[in-house]
Amino acid sequence: MKKQKVDVSGLIVKIIFVIAVLILWEVVARANLFGSRSRLIFPTIGDVLQAFVNNFKTGYAGSSFWVYIMNSMKLLVLGLFIGIVLAFLFSGLSIVSKTFHSIYNLVVSVFDLLPGVALLPVVIVICGVTPGVIVFLVVHAVIWPMSRSVLDGFLAVPKIYVESGLNMGLSGFSLLTGVYIPAATSYIVSGLKVGWARAWRGLLSAEMIFGLANCPGIGLYINQMRTNMKNAEMYATLIVIIIIGVVVQYGILAPIEKCTVKRWGMSK
Amino acid sequence: MENREIILEINHLTKVFQDEPDVNAEPILEDLNLQLHRKEFLSILGPSGCGKTTMLRCIAGFESYEGEILVGGVSTTKPGTDRIMVFQDFNQIFPWQTVEKNIQYPLKLQGIKDKDQLKAISDEYLKKVNLDGTQKKYPHQLSGGMKQRVAIAKALAQKPKIILMDEPFAALDAMTRNKLQAELLNISRQEDCTFIFITHNIQEAIVLGDRIIVMSKKGKIKIDKQNTLARPITPASPGYGDMWTLFHDAIEE
Repeated sequence: MKKQKVDVSGLIVKIIFVIAVLILWEVVARANLFGSRSRLIFPTIGDVLQAFVNNFKTGYAGSSFWVYIMNSMKLLVLGLFIGIVLAFLFSGLSIVSKTFHSIYNLVVSVFDLLPGVALLPVVIVICGVTPGVIVFLVVHAVIWPMSRSVLDGFLAVPKIYVESGLNMGLSGFSLLTGVYIPAATSYIVSGLKVGWARAWRGLLSAEMIFGLANCPGIGLYINQMRTNMKNAEMYATLIVIIIIGVVVQYGILAPIEKCTVKRWGMSK
Repeated sequence: MENREIILEINHLTKVFQDEPDVNAEPILEDLNLQLHRKEFLSILGPSGCGKTTMLRCIAGFESYEGEILVGGVSTTKPGTDRIMVFQDFNQIFPWQTVEKNIQYPLKLQGIKDKDQLKAISDEYLKKVNLDGTQKKYPHQLSGGMKQRVAIAKALAQKPKIILMDEPFAALDAMTRNKLQAELLNISRQEDCTFIFITHNIQEAIVLGDRIIVMSKKGKIKIDKQNTLARPITPASPGYGDMWTLFHDAIEE
């Protein structure tokens, strides 16, 4: 395996760019360019960092920001889990039954185009204002792109692997787990990426549109900071959202890709 | 050879690829009859489209057919581990498994659970195909010839009654091809296994086969000849030229 060469000059350019943006930000913040609103739009970097610490230390209304993060993550993980399991289940059934395949294909094509937030009113009528609504939206966000990828992946499995599998005695469910799923891994991983990104956006949108008092999440926290004019805390929350995204992308998804399709020489 | 038990019996095999139900399509195989003895190595020659591969796929159980195929006296229509197919495509072993796992996986499915035993078997067969040391490699790290060797080792390790080979060496360069022919010949002498080997290469058919068949359109068997040349067979062997010409003319006609 070739070791990847670190692009040093590229890294330096990026670091210089980030520092330049931060300096510019600080200059604008201190210059009060926007009059009375200046401190709201551009809180100083020191204020944002202070707010970052405060978020976790004091939080809002007696509960630390950790509680909000954990609530969001709980619903997100539950929704992702249900969505991924269902995507595999339905896509697997599509392999077994041609009729199911054509119906499910239609369902995926239609619902994939429907933004989850647009479903919110309907879901609230059905579930009431409960954490179930958020889970529902996360499931909705992940299941369709995931199913699309898994379906495409299963269709693209070379016939020779399937016949090899049949030849060694695999059939039905064992053929699915023994051949179809590993052979479609590159599609499954890209489905996971798209599904996660949509779920994360869907979760935050839903939490911002209606906050759950019994299960407050990150989206609600941002909204509360906005209504209380705590703009430094708002920015600090955005930083946390970015950090979570980076952690999932590089801490979970990238390693999954590295141990599977990259190692097997199957990356697209 | 004739007093050995019959391992494969094909009676009145007919195969029509019926894409549209109304159209009366021409059969690709029509009333094919063939018997194969245990431990025989059968080479099959024939022009493209004569139905060689289709016959092999019918035997493997990948295609539905009319007629009867008996393996060890038992009628078969579905794929099974008593008949293992080795394809022409280099990418027939699973890229998500290491070389040794590729060989061990079907054995696990057959119920061998002991890790040491699995390791011993995969090592043994990798040695047979001269691939010792590649156990932990992934298929994408191997050359085409090495992948075919793994496929052969994987097939042998499953101890099938018949190994069905569909031009497994056709996409290899000439040198690797000669090497693999010699290895396969050597292995086929040692193993208690019957081989059906499809090829377009007359030299390959003569070097490997105990018996050579030339097929023409609709799976008609034009020549069915025992290979009586003294082994090892090279183009310099007495009688090689006559045999080559015989098969060459039969295919060209």
